[in-house]
Amino acid sequence: MRLLLAFRAFWVVLFQGAVAGRVKAVLDQPALPAPAPEPVKASAPTVRIEKPKPPVRSDAITLLATLQREARFVDLAQESLDAYTDAQVGAAARDVLRDCRKVLERLFALQPALSQDEGSAVDVPAGFDAARFRLTGKVAGEGPFRGRLVHPGWEAAKCELPAWSGSEASARVVAPAEVEL
Amino acid sequence: MTARYVIGIDLGTTNSVIAYTPLDAEEAAVQILPIPQLVAAGTVESLGSLASFLYLAREHESGQGTLNVPWADGRDFAVGELARRQSAEVPERTVGAAKSWLCHGRVDRRGEILPWNAPAGVPKISPVTATRRYLEHLIATWEQAFPDAPAADQLVVLTVPASFDAAARDLTREAALAAGLPGNLLLLEEPQAAVYAWLDSLGNRWRRSLKLNDMLLVCDVGGGTSDFTLVQVAEEHGELILQREAVGNHLLVGGDNMDLALAYQAAETFGHKGVKLDPWQSVSLWHACRTAKETLLAADGPNAHTISVLGRGTKLIGGTVSIEMKRKQALEVLVDGFFPRCGIGDRPVRRRASGFQDIGLPFEQDTAVTRHLAAFLSDHGAKEGAAVQPTHVLLNGGVFKSKALADRLIDVLGQWAGGPKPQFLEGKPDLDNAVARGAAYYGWAKTRGGVRIRGGTARSYYVGIETAGLAIPGAPRPLRALCVAPLGMEEGDQADVPSQEIGLVVGEPAHFRFFSSPLRKQDKVGDVLSSWSEEELAETDSLEATLDADEVIEEPYVPVKFQSRVTELGMFELWCVCTKSKKKWKLEFSVREED
Repeated sequence: MRLLLAFRAFWVVLFQGAVAGRVKAVLDQPALPAPAPEPVKASAPTVRIEKPKPPVRSDAITLLATLQREARFVDLAQESLDAYTDAQVGAAARDVLRDCRKVLERLFALQPALSQDEGSAVDVPAGFDAARFRLTGKVAGEGPFRGRLVHPGWEAAKCELPAWSGSEASARVVAPAEVEL
Repeated sequence: MTARYVIGIDLGTTNSVIAYTPLDAEEAAVQILPIPQLVAAGTVESLGSLASFLYLAREHESGQGTLNVPWADGRDFAVGELARRQSAEVPERTVGAAKSWLCHGRVDRRGEILPWNAPAGVPKISPVTATRRYLEHLIATWEQAFPDAPAADQLVVLTVPASFDAAARDLTREAALAAGLPGNLLLLEEPQAAVYAWLDSLGNRWRRSLKLNDMLLVCDVGGGTSDFTLVQVAEEHGELILQREAVGNHLLVGGDNMDLALAYQAAETFGHKGVKLDPWQSVSLWHACRTAKETLLAADGPNAHTISVLGRGTKLIGGTVSIEMKRKQALEVLVDGFFPRCGIGDRPVRRRASGFQDIGLPFEQDTAVTRHLAAFLSDHGAKEGAAVQPTHVLLNGGVFKSKALADRLIDVLGQWAGGPKPQFLEGKPDLDNAVARGAAYYGWAKTRGGVRIRGGTARSYYVGIETAGLAIPGAPRPLRALCVAPLGMEEGDQADVPSQEIGLVVGEPAHFRFFSSPLRKQDKVGDVLSSWSEEELAETDSLEATLDADEVIEEPYVPVKFQSRVTELGMFELWCVCTKSKKKWKLEFSVREED
């Protein structure tokens, strides 16, 4: 048995630095005292091993939930507009849109994808990224191109969505049912 | 381990902020740390500040993971934005304004009293515990971001209102140490922190902005409290220095009162239209009014702003009701209501409530910030009838995003001065984060060398001594106040209080009534006052000490004298020293409810 343990110790000490340190500490002790029972600390912090959790909820649902919670975006989009005048829709939309913008600002810090002014002349390099530029009109050859900026585009300077820690069963809840007692 | 960072913590009444800077940097580079917090059930988001609210969950909620934060699972409470939202919807399960309770002398601050007036069956916690939980959240935030620099090893600066007395400071420190902050934690007065943030933003140029004998008024109006401080520019060895001259009382009036006042007006207008708002809509009206305040009172504010309350339920458009709030009306309610023009001789109006009074937070009866300011400047004038005239003003707090309020404040100060108006300090202050930034900069400047604000204790302290003499049945013995620490006692100072010997009974707790004054600059250690007005000397928590019977003490009585000191960390301490053996006992604040 001892032989087996010695071999195991050899490999573990060789490849695991942390264990090596502990073994060294034991060997450095003048004499091993009789193994005393480990004192149990009442409030010893338990080491939590981080295990990668599978994403329970899609980020899209989280974004929708945020827009609903802070701006009531889903309520507005889901409501039929037929029965209301423009003024009524406008009154509600003004607040909802203002709050939507706050959310977009905080989570994505949106900025134009191209910094030039709308309407100004801009250069598009040859071999441009089709996700960054969309050319319209008479496009001939491989470029580079020069044209008028019709829309500067949008780009998220960051993407910081809230994290979800709820259960799988409620992962698709966009807004909880509200019950008044 | 030596500290690598300064962590500056602004533990606010409604919002808390963390700022930090590396200590080894040649120039302080202060940054704000985003704080992850629950914003809804099961949803954690990082925001620039932590809402200082605590939600006490129902039992079953803790097991569902909906109150988990990145560093802890299965919690039965939540701190931050979720709790702030809950405070409106489930008020009897949320704790708010714990900080204001911390300096409220008439309740037991270690007792489980919050949420105040909560019905039976709801868990309760103490103001100290609530404060500890906010700080634990901030520490966990730090340690997530800097796992190899534990908060306990860093230089931590925690801000407190200038008006906090010694007992409230002690309790704040107690909560901070329990939360895991280091023992060398520094406490810094909030208005001073705002000045440090200004110094950081200007660097050495500040000496060109201010000149000798200038008087700076720091006006800090937060969500729930207002705080004033005067800082004078003095000279030492040919260099300009800053000296904190005076601090005001803790005023429970702030931006939230203003939003509510506007909401009250708006609700009346809705009422005229026949619209009755339910409690949920009233809360959303309150938030809508905050936006209205900031829009209408901005520099080029529109003449009118639409305030809408969205329909409850899914009938959003159909249920939406709107009114128009005119700029003129908002100016009347907010500018004239909270910053009215008044004379320098005016004082806050006090209405004595008759009969039963609830012991809840002592909100100001007069919400006029300018009248409180007039009283503050008059009280600290060199002599009767000559109020202090500030030359410069530094604003702090989100309220002053409304330019109309800032302008009115300067107008009123100019009117009082009768000469040129005071100026705003150069630069644009970060109204929401200046206190945390300034705290971090202070820690850096203290370590690396930089301009510091002098000041010492903001109050003088007194122990109540009952005069000996014939006892008259039914009448209390006359009380005198022995000055044990003068105003402006500096860090590291110690004073033996000259007095007659006081006999303490061994084995029994000795109680001392304790008083403080932000006004009596003339008193020296050992002075005995036989009469005073309630305004200049306020009684705070009593002090107590128990002398244990041991081999050193053989007599039943021990003759002692007092010794006061201010520690290097700025904490006030009072000791009893035995005149024979020189043995010492520290007096502790008794913050329990008096029987």
